Amino acid sequence: MANTSFLNVDNDNVLLSIQKFLKSILDLNDIEAILAPLHKKDGKNIMPVFIADPTLLNDVDPLAPAFAMNAAKLVSKLTHKPMGKKIAVVLRSCEIRALIELVKLKQAYLEDIVIIGFDCLGTYTNKNLAFLMASDTTDLTQRFCENALAGKEPPIEGGPNLSPACRACEYPVPENADILIGLLGLDIKKQVLLQALTEKGNALFENLSYTESEEPPGRKKVISEVISKKIEFRDKMFETTHKATNTLEKLSDYFASCINCYNCRVACPVCYCRECVFNTDVFDHDPYQYMQWAKRKGAVKLPADTNFYHITRLAHISLNCVGCGQCSNACPNDIPVMELFKYVANNTQAAFEYEAGKDMDQPPPLSVFKEEEYLDVVGIN
Amino acid sequence: MDKNNSNALVVGAGISGIRTALDLAQQDFHVTLIDKSPAIGGILSQLDYQFPSNHCGMCKMLPLINRDASSQFCLRKGLFHENIHLLLSCELSGLAGEAGNFTARLRQKPTWVDPDLCVGCGLCEKVCPQDIPDCFNEGLSSRKAIYLPVPHAIPNAYVIDLAACNRCGACEEVCPTNAIQLSQSNRKAFNILVVDDELSIRDSLKEWLEEEDFSVDMAVSGADALTKLSQKPYQLMLTDIKMPQMGGVELLKKAKKDHPNLSVVMMTAYATVETAVEAMKIGALDYLIKPFDPDTLVPMVIRIFQDIEATKDREITIDTIIFSTGTSFYDPADEKNIFGYGIYPNVLTSIEFERMISHTGPSQGALCRLDHNPNDQNDPPVKKIAWIQCVGSRNIQQNADFCSSICCMIAIKEAVLTREISKGKIDTTIFYMDMRTFGKSFQRYYDTALSEHGVRFERCKIDSISLDKKTNDLIIRYISKNGELKKELFDMAVLSTGQRPSYKTAQLAKICDLSTNPWGFIQTLPFSLTLTAKEGIIAGGSVTGLKDISQSLIQASAAAQNAGCIIHSKGSKKLEAPIENKGVYRDVSREPVDLLMVICTCKERVTRFIDPKILTEKFIQDPCISNVIFLDNICTDNGWQELEQIVMDCRPNRLLIGACHPYLYIRRIRELAKKCTLDPVFIDVVDIMTGVFQENPDSQNELNSTGFHITGILNAGAAALKQAQYQTSHKIPVHPSALIIGGGIAGMTAALGIADQGYEVALVEKTDHLGGNLNWLKQTIDGLSCENLLEETIARVTKQPLIRIFLNSQIISCTGYTGQFKTIIEDGEKQPVTIEHGAVILATGGNEARTQSFNYGTQNSVVTQKDLEIRLADKSIDPKKLDSIAMIQCVDSRQEPRNYCSRVCCPTALKQARFIKEQNPEADIYFLYRDMMTCGFTETFFTQARKDNIIFISYEPDNLPQVEEIEGKIIINAVEPVLGRPIEINADLVVLATGITPEFPDTLASILGIMPDMDRFFQEADPKWRPLDAIKEGIYACGIVHSPGSIPESIATAQAAAQRALNIISRPVLASAQIVALVRHSLCSLCQRCIDTCPYGARMLNTDETKVLVNEAMCQGCGACAVICPNNASVLQGYSGQQMLGVIDAVFEDLLN
Repeated sequence: MANTSFLNVDNDNVLLSIQKFLKSILDLNDIEAILAPLHKKDGKNIMPVFIADPTLLNDVDPLAPAFAMNAAKLVSKLTHKPMGKKIAVVLRSCEIRALIELVKLKQAYLEDIVIIGFDCLGTYTNKNLAFLMASDTTDLTQRFCENALAGKEPPIEGGPNLSPACRACEYPVPENADILIGLLGLDIKKQVLLQALTEKGNALFENLSYTESEEPPGRKKVISEVISKKIEFRDKMFETTHKATNTLEKLSDYFASCINCYNCRVACPVCYCRECVFNTDVFDHDPYQYMQWAKRKGAVKLPADTNFYHITRLAHISLNCVGCGQCSNACPNDIPVMELFKYVANNTQAAFEYEAGKDMDQPPPLSVFKEEEYLDVVGIN
Repeated sequence: MDKNNSNALVVGAGISGIRTALDLAQQDFHVTLIDKSPAIGGILSQLDYQFPSNHCGMCKMLPLINRDASSQFCLRKGLFHENIHLLLSCELSGLAGEAGNFTARLRQKPTWVDPDLCVGCGLCEKVCPQDIPDCFNEGLSSRKAIYLPVPHAIPNAYVIDLAACNRCGACEEVCPTNAIQLSQSNRKAFNILVVDDELSIRDSLKEWLEEEDFSVDMAVSGADALTKLSQKPYQLMLTDIKMPQMGGVELLKKAKKDHPNLSVVMMTAYATVETAVEAMKIGALDYLIKPFDPDTLVPMVIRIFQDIEATKDREITIDTIIFSTGTSFYDPADEKNIFGYGIYPNVLTSIEFERMISHTGPSQGALCRLDHNPNDQNDPPVKKIAWIQCVGSRNIQQNADFCSSICCMIAIKEAVLTREISKGKIDTTIFYMDMRTFGKSFQRYYDTALSEHGVRFERCKIDSISLDKKTNDLIIRYISKNGELKKELFDMAVLSTGQRPSYKTAQLAKICDLSTNPWGFIQTLPFSLTLTAKEGIIAGGSVTGLKDISQSLIQASAAAQNAGCIIHSKGSKKLEAPIENKGVYRDVSREPVDLLMVICTCKERVTRFIDPKILTEKFIQDPCISNVIFLDNICTDNGWQELEQIVMDCRPNRLLIGACHPYLYIRRIRELAKKCTLDPVFIDVVDIMTGVFQENPDSQNELNSTGFHITGILNAGAAALKQAQYQTSHKIPVHPSALIIGGGIAGMTAALGIADQGYEVALVEKTDHLGGNLNWLKQTIDGLSCENLLEETIARVTKQPLIRIFLNSQIISCTGYTGQFKTIIEDGEKQPVTIEHGAVILATGGNEARTQSFNYGTQNSVVTQKDLEIRLADKSIDPKKLDSIAMIQCVDSRQEPRNYCSRVCCPTALKQARFIKEQNPEADIYFLYRDMMTCGFTETFFTQARKDNIIFISYEPDNLPQVEEIEGKIIINAVEPVLGRPIEINADLVVLATGITPEFPDTLASILGIMPDMDRFFQEADPKWRPLDAIKEGIYACGIVHSPGSIPESIATAQAAAQRALNIISRPVLASAQIVALVRHSLCSLCQRCIDTCPYGARMLNTDETKVLVNEAMCQGCGACAVICPNNASVLQGYSGQQMLGVIDAVFEDLLN
């Protein structure tokens, strides 16, 4: 039984070997379909697609720097009730982490899925990706991967930078995948790493014929260098965000252009409410109320409750936030939503010694009752 | 509520009285609950921390089912239940009649402050010139003559201690609400006639009494007196006995004939005391021996004055009476005072120590020496505290041949708290004889105190305490367990004072003609801890001797069950359940909001802070508010009537009242709602008075901020009412029967307890016979026959037509929840029988623990206590043939994995020893023991055993006695601790006390959906405050599956469990409270965090419907589910999102301006 092996790359095309690997998985008796990002026919879009026909895997491209949406929510749709079939899902690190949170919230289940993860080299915002896709897309994924692994910024010369969420991501290597495809610290023109991280991954590996091997010695170092660079970026981002939002007035300015479209909430993988409270009658204020607010403050921003909405969302999900950045991606007015959410999440998660998406066995902080907790805050003793 | 007729009178409103009263009230019986003090809670109101949690928890006694009938806040602050009539400062002064028809005479003392008017502002206290020791703090601090009886009651009304009051009237002047009625004119209206032939006496009496503001007239002779009496009403006559012509006795006779209500005090020289006593027989109230000074006369007259003022004596008719009058503590200053209590500055009793570590105590919880410099709490610092056990207990010289049962655990708790509070800086030592950790979890608490908290335990005899006069340090001399005299210095000594009957017990016993035991505690019937020899008179709580909290409450519930049986058997009617008819309210749901705001001005006090005109203009702008009206003193009857009239005239569909103490208005609002046909959910009272009374507004700033506060509160109240919605009440029908699992003495007693009140019982026993352990137990330690008890009980059970007995049967499944269980029983014919019932009582009992220790099973002469009992009975062991017997106690017990005391083994071993000694006085009996657990009055058998020359040798668990057989003889090797030398005992028989293991199989636990505790006994919802309830409501336990105990103790738990079950099954429906949580299914994402969060197990996932469901009867409306739910799928009725946002907005509206 091999739990570390290599996938050989032919013709300098890493994508082909990954597609081949995915086909071998779909060929297995017990995996009946794969969820993976797929190039649309128009060549302009890459979207998650649930694939049962192995021939369609030729258009699958998990390594492309495209991240139209966080697919954790899609896994929730595929697993919230038993399907009766086993499937594989190819997910980015932040998608896996969001999925772990959804599983804890009983919105998704892992029983019938195999998670295939890969070293994430980052993605562009949807707008920047569209800009990039409009130009020459030949070998885009191969070029992107090679440059990104070589540490070039921006990875495509003359192109835009990666999205801030990706640049500030501390988790480029997924931890909760069943099978990991490793790129960092490898020469992807020759081979990529293949690792089974769980029992489930091991079981799958047994049906594939790979020879046991060892992780390349330099990989760990490369990973830690990548991460420390990202943390450096992250901390600067936190500082800027803090300065921009540390008073109520500044926070209002931060969200001044918010139109309450709630796109960020739709895009958020861990916002799992069936119907958001902001869509319910709770916020159907009496018309007279607007008058009172206007009188009190001189004027009231409309639509109202903007800060309240964002703060509520922070209260609800900052403990589950994985920092994937889809909120910013979805904002029509380019509000840096992720920057604030990730910053707050970093603090709230630290306060409860919790890391979203990290560990299946760590219970969500608010469902754990500790009698003697935050005594200074609650004013007991 | 008829205040002159009650089903039951409960005397004493400590925790036992409250428990009994609540139990009966929950069963819809009407209860009158009285207490002699002005506050409820008894001794527990003085104690802040209870082990094992070291918290309070008293509120956990409040009912979970039908909770709207009762108050739902801190029980120390007050108690309210619609079926309980609570009378404070009230005593029982007489009892006549018989069970089912007693007439009780109650005397309520005035507190001189009208509790309805007192707002607790404390101005009176500041001006009172008198300083006296504060009883609440056990005299460690001082209080005024006008004072708060407890610091925490709500509303907290002041009372006047007339004995300490000098009637200066200062308080009356400053009282802003005229609540103080210590009016001098009352005394002026009290007419006293002084009759004496000696002018000097008449004059001095007149002078003394007039100085006290009484009206005094004088008469020179009997004839003169009779004339004066006919001219004007007098309340009191003081008459000389020896007078010419008409003597005092004759005057008394004549005066009483025409003026029967006149109180008469005879004045007499010593020579005629006998005459005075004679006079009292014909109606004189009291007598004074001449010569007397004002210090004798004046207090007596004041007392008579008070009594007459107070004689709003009332008589009530009751079916049964329960005494929960509690216990007093030994006063260590009595008699020889060997510990220097009251003399050495740092010797305290344990109750005093409790006050000291209380945050409401004299030093606000700081531990300091009583001789410390008040400006420096650390001078001198407390470094070492000693606890001295058994002060006034286990002492024959003090007529205290008993164990007070609770002191060991109190001392451990106090020492642990001390270690915690001081962060380990204060050394704590407990000096004890036996550490009596005989209750559930006690032994582990002790172990933790020893190993984790570092409390030192010193088994010894205290020799003396003396004082180092220079440092005030205490020198404690003690004889250690190996016989050495040792000496140690301490900063403080805490005396664990034992129990004494309450000083009222003797009086009550006399009033009710009850007998007491040799130590003055109420005597109960054999095998009962609660029934007295007089039918209908029941003893609850610690009136029969000190109990810890859980035992007190068990006994209180048992007393309630006994009382219920009396009420039922005497055919008394229950209260009629109030008919909640929604139809009486008009439908306002489609009307635009029309809010009437009524604001109490409280005699201009409110209008100092707000301008009514400006406030009205401001509120009237809101289209929802139609009217703002200011009224004076809404709290008075007149004020309330005025308010009612306005409401009837305006007919608003929302009513907001700005006043004080909202909860005082609960009843009034219910009545008003019916009158004006407006559902009470649309009526609210908000407290605008906080800040109004206490502040002495100097600056404009202060005026403004209080003004804002009032406006904000009214605004918030209006916002909440605007969005108020009709609330649906759910009613869960109840199956009026109970399932009892286990047919031992506990199960049978519980079955009778329920069936005797008219409800059906299914009694399931797995063997082919009833009786359990009573089938082999022959007699109790006090010589009562267990066989007779068993025979009688089985006869009663089999004759009771409401009890259906299932032998050779077991429970296959049990579904449902409180009020509505459905159980399948596999009966003796292996056929399934389905029954529906409202409650479950677990009474599966337990067995003597098996052992392999001390060669048991390999040597015939090593037996267990059970073996011995059986073999003595079948005569296969003949005591006469035994020369030497060794009893080894605590076999495999009180150490992991069976780290608990089984409580019965020490008394059982003593019982056998006593029996053997009776048969064969020459036999040598040795006890090898760790701590003799003869709690309560069983101590006397331990004392007797020592007198009978039974030898007691203690051993440590790490140095067990060794038992070996040499040539057919058993040799026991042990260490004699006093000699410190190994000893050898030759024994014919070794008897092992192995303790009790519970019979509570996993399968049964999982069928019932409850978890056993770590020793596989029943796990209580709360070990102190809900001792027999499972966490899953509707399931209760009794007998030894609950905890090891004697037969009377098991019977008490059975009766108490029956009572707990009756609280459910005697109601036709379980009605949900107004405030319960709901699930809006269309919004629910089924993440189930609410289920994890609900502390009452009131939520579950229905997998068939994939819905989260709420059991409305179980839901306590705490709102935890609404908080955890991110999208308002889980909501709390009456606290909707709109309402809360509206309230928050309203509060901030003015603050942000």
